[in-house]
Amino acid sequence: MIAIQKNNALNLARLQSLIAMVVLCIIIAIMSDKFLTMDNGWNVLRQISVNICISVGMTLIVLTAGIDLSVGSVLALCGAITAGLLKNGIKLPTLDLFIGFTLLGSLLAGIIAGGALGLFNGFVITKFKVPPFVSTLAMLTIARGLTMLWTQGHPISNLGPAFSTIGTGWMLGIPVPVWIAGVVVLLAIFITRQTRLGRYIYAIGGNENAAILSGISINKVKLIVYGIAGALAAVGGIMVTSRLDSAQPNAGTGYELDAIAAVVIGGTSLSGGKGSIGGTVMGAVIIGVLNNGLVLLNVSPFWQQVVKGAVILIAVIIDKGGKKK
Amino acid sequence: MARKIIKYLLLTAVIGLLAYKSVFIIKLSELQVIEPKAFDAPAFTQQLWDTKLPAKLDSALTLDALQAELKANPGRAFETYFNSMSIGNVQYTLVKVTGKVLSVNEDDVVLLTGARDAQRTVKIATEYVYGNAIRDASRLVKIKDFVNTTDLNKISEELNKRVRTKVLPAFKGTVQKGDSVDCTGAIGLNQAHYSLDGLEILPVQCKIIQQ
Repeated sequence: MIAIQKNNALNLARLQSLIAMVVLCIIIAIMSDKFLTMDNGWNVLRQISVNICISVGMTLIVLTAGIDLSVGSVLALCGAITAGLLKNGIKLPTLDLFIGFTLLGSLLAGIIAGGALGLFNGFVITKFKVPPFVSTLAMLTIARGLTMLWTQGHPISNLGPAFSTIGTGWMLGIPVPVWIAGVVVLLAIFITRQTRLGRYIYAIGGNENAAILSGISINKVKLIVYGIAGALAAVGGIMVTSRLDSAQPNAGTGYELDAIAAVVIGGTSLSGGKGSIGGTVMGAVIIGVLNNGLVLLNVSPFWQQVVKGAVILIAVIIDKGGKKK
Repeated sequence: MARKIIKYLLLTAVIGLLAYKSVFIIKLSELQVIEPKAFDAPAFTQQLWDTKLPAKLDSALTLDALQAELKANPGRAFETYFNSMSIGNVQYTLVKVTGKVLSVNEDDVVLLTGARDAQRTVKIATEYVYGNAIRDASRLVKIKDFVNTTDLNKISEELNKRVRTKVLPAFKGTVQKGDSVDCTGAIGLNQAHYSLDGLEILPVQCKIIQQ
């Protein structure tokens, strides 16, 4: 009997994000007739695709009991690198050489740069035992500064129709960013559920000492996880840049907070070891729906921030309450 | 061992293929022949200033005429005389004012202008000349002629710089309280709720007609 009750409680905990989202959708649909339309649905999905990509990487990090505050700046830098290489290439006057980048080349360069920045975060955290909060906070500033240097403070625009397709195109009746986010989510679910790396991630977050004693190379796992998160931030950066057809030096400001919010609302424990990619996707959808609903209801942008913060707070309190039981 | 070698060979081949499809290298000297010349904002602005802007300044409405147009049909007045390349309600136009200097301040010169029964004060900005007001008010720059906003913004920067360095120093250096002044410049009005009271003019041409 107790086992059945515990099982029911667990199922309810898993479903709480979904229930919250359904309730939210019903409330907004009652208050705005524009909410439940196909166009708005695609719009919301397109908007949350970027957050989903970042949040998935953030989930992997949070599962290891870490945090990454630099994803917004890494997103901006990688978007700028991709746009800069695609548009201007690299000029080497001393060698009389011009290295041009194809679309594929610039995309790969952006993602590799993101991965490298993530690896650097992981390196600082594992090698020098700097708390993730501090090291990624430093990277936040470094990456933003590098973005300003790379762009000279100006947007890099007019990147061509092929590049724009990534952020604004459609494939089989579904927006391309949604496809990208879908692939990212499926890969992350596969990694967390079906691979050794996934089990190690949960093990490290659950109990780092036990993971070390079990022979898990925690430094290696953390490096990989931060690397993946950096690369996913770069994917988000490419999507944002493509959607705007312009790499903005101040892009991605505050995105890290949306990503952390999605992770927390999705039920992932900030102390690590507990959570799921599915929950994070649900968290990102809730934030996206909330943003969209508040705009449709003509709520002032200042109040929107207050409401978003309150929702995050309630989610964490509910999560804590659930754990106590 | 053999499997490992095959694995690394395959990996190298994939990386090589990706690199081949990702970058291309050409001589920089060859590229510069193909590459279009960068936009020369100072030269463009100089030409604009010398050849096209004088006619626009001559045909600018006086403040009283503008007020009459706005009173008669605001929609038509905004459509005919105003312009803006930005999103929003603020639109810009060039106006002529003649008036008596009431005060010379650090940032502006205040004029008393208009007929005796409808007098108003306007400020001529003499310190902070920024933004796109002059460019947009001139109606000489078309957005479709430019491939990026940076070039468009550079025109504003150059026009403002010319006002700050060529127009204002001579005017600021000599203008005194009580002088009669003739000034043509750009104003911005909010289309949704406009008012000609407390106007600030970004000057393009300023003359002291009587000291």
